[in-house]
Amino acid sequence: MILFDNVTKKYSVKDAPALDGVSVEIERGEFVFVVGTSGSGKSTMMQLIIREQLATSGQVLVAGRELSRLPTRKVPALRREIGTVFQDFRLLLGKNVYQNVAFALQVLGKPRHAIKQLVPETLELVGLDGKEKRLPHELSGGEQQRVAIARAVVNKPSILLADEPTGNLDPETSADIVHVLERINRTGTTLVMATHDTSIVDNFRRRVVELHNGRLVRDQARGVYAQAAD
Amino acid sequence: MRLQFMLSEIFGGVRRNKSMVISVILVSMVSLFFLGSGLLAQRQVDTAKGYWYDKIQVSIFLCTKQSDTPSCATGAVTDGQREQLRSELTDLEPLVKKVYHETSAQAYDRFKEQFRNSPIVDSVPKDSINESFRVQLSDPTKYDVVASSFQGAPGVESVEDQRGLLDKFFAFLNMLSLSAVALAAVMVVCSILLIVTTIRQTAFSRRRETKIMRLVGASAFVIHLPFIIETMLATVLGAALSVGLLWTMVHYGISGFLTDNLSGASGGLLSFIGVADVWAIAPWLFGGAVVLAAMTSWLTLRRYLRV
Repeated sequence: MILFDNVTKKYSVKDAPALDGVSVEIERGEFVFVVGTSGSGKSTMMQLIIREQLATSGQVLVAGRELSRLPTRKVPALRREIGTVFQDFRLLLGKNVYQNVAFALQVLGKPRHAIKQLVPETLELVGLDGKEKRLPHELSGGEQQRVAIARAVVNKPSILLADEPTGNLDPETSADIVHVLERINRTGTTLVMATHDTSIVDNFRRRVVELHNGRLVRDQARGVYAQAAD
Repeated sequence: MRLQFMLSEIFGGVRRNKSMVISVILVSMVSLFFLGSGLLAQRQVDTAKGYWYDKIQVSIFLCTKQSDTPSCATGAVTDGQREQLRSELTDLEPLVKKVYHETSAQAYDRFKEQFRNSPIVDSVPKDSINESFRVQLSDPTKYDVVASSFQGAPGVESVEDQRGLLDKFFAFLNMLSLSAVALAAVMVVCSILLIVTTIRQTAFSRRRETKIMRLVGASAFVIHLPFIIETMLATVLGAALSVGLLWTMVHYGISGFLTDNLSGASGGLLSFIGVADVWAIAPWLFGGAVVLAAMTSWLTLRRYLRV
């Protein structure tokens, strides 16, 4: 589903590369934690997948597309197959829960009857049914992240990228959010979650890809956060 | 994107950026008003030209006893020369529309009438006033054809084109028209800069929405459309206001004042443009507004709103 083949990304000639010769393959339907300290290259990896950035060298293949050869006009179609969730939720503050989720479908020109069916379904999937009319400031951090997840998956993407989705949340709420992500993963969605939340990685025991200074230092099935624990 | 959703996005954008949208409307109004004034001044030149060219004539003055030009070496024009000239004029049809022959006596009477209060009349002998052919041309700009055919012909003292007298007046109107267009150009630059600033500000205030739109895979067209439509609405509204201003100026200022006082059935000095001319240039102003908005916002969005 996602293939990095010897990918290097340099933001400037002088600086050290943000990603340095990374090769990794993520299969359809997998759940992968990408771990590493700040500046290790996790976010760069995410940005390469949604083609916010282009690799300096090497190949990035996502859903059958070679991204360096993908023309700009075809980028939106790629992004429709990828849902994204961030640490800071990025909700529209003037819109309620329902409208925030519906927005993702409206800008794609989905018909009203489809929106009326998909939005409540998705809100139920993330456990927000009954809170459709709430505005973001009336929700807890965990609930806001659920709205963001609902918005990311309402168009049924084949990949969901979560960049530090629990970074702003307490441990209990973080675990709830990862449970929601697991539920989405069970529907067949490939899930890539960048995190430095030790307890989440240790408790959920999924594949762990570890980056350090832009290099891939570990790729382990059912891994934990710290290599020393192996 | 559904129409209703797009309208609500545009309305939201306008509400957030009220003061900037109003300034775009006003600057477009002023720039298009100047552009419209320039176009109207040009039409005024054309109208006045048409009016005057209908009235003015080329005068072929025939020799008198006193004439001292080489073509008048034989003295006053003879009957034969006169008939020769007349038939040559007839040959120049259809360029020559009408020919009036003014005898020396008629010319003298007209001269006496024009200078009735001046003592000069008594000092001018009757036979020193030239008889002439007054020639009306179907195309007054082809004066040269007549001049070259008759200048220096036997019996012709001189050929004069009254058009020359009006050229200064037309040059003045042309300058007025050019000044208005130059002002319009400066104002158009102002509007472009203002539109660029407005779009940048709108893009900044809407950056969260655009980011989300990009992430969920909205096309560049869908992301740009609300900005383009919003700018277009503002400039088209500006164009509508400028047409309103031009209409007011022409209806009350020109048709309602100048025309009543300076022209009319009594055979006035000038004929003026009317509100019909405003309607004639209005589509150009609206077209200009749409092109201005579309081009500027497209280029700005390409530069400042990456998709």
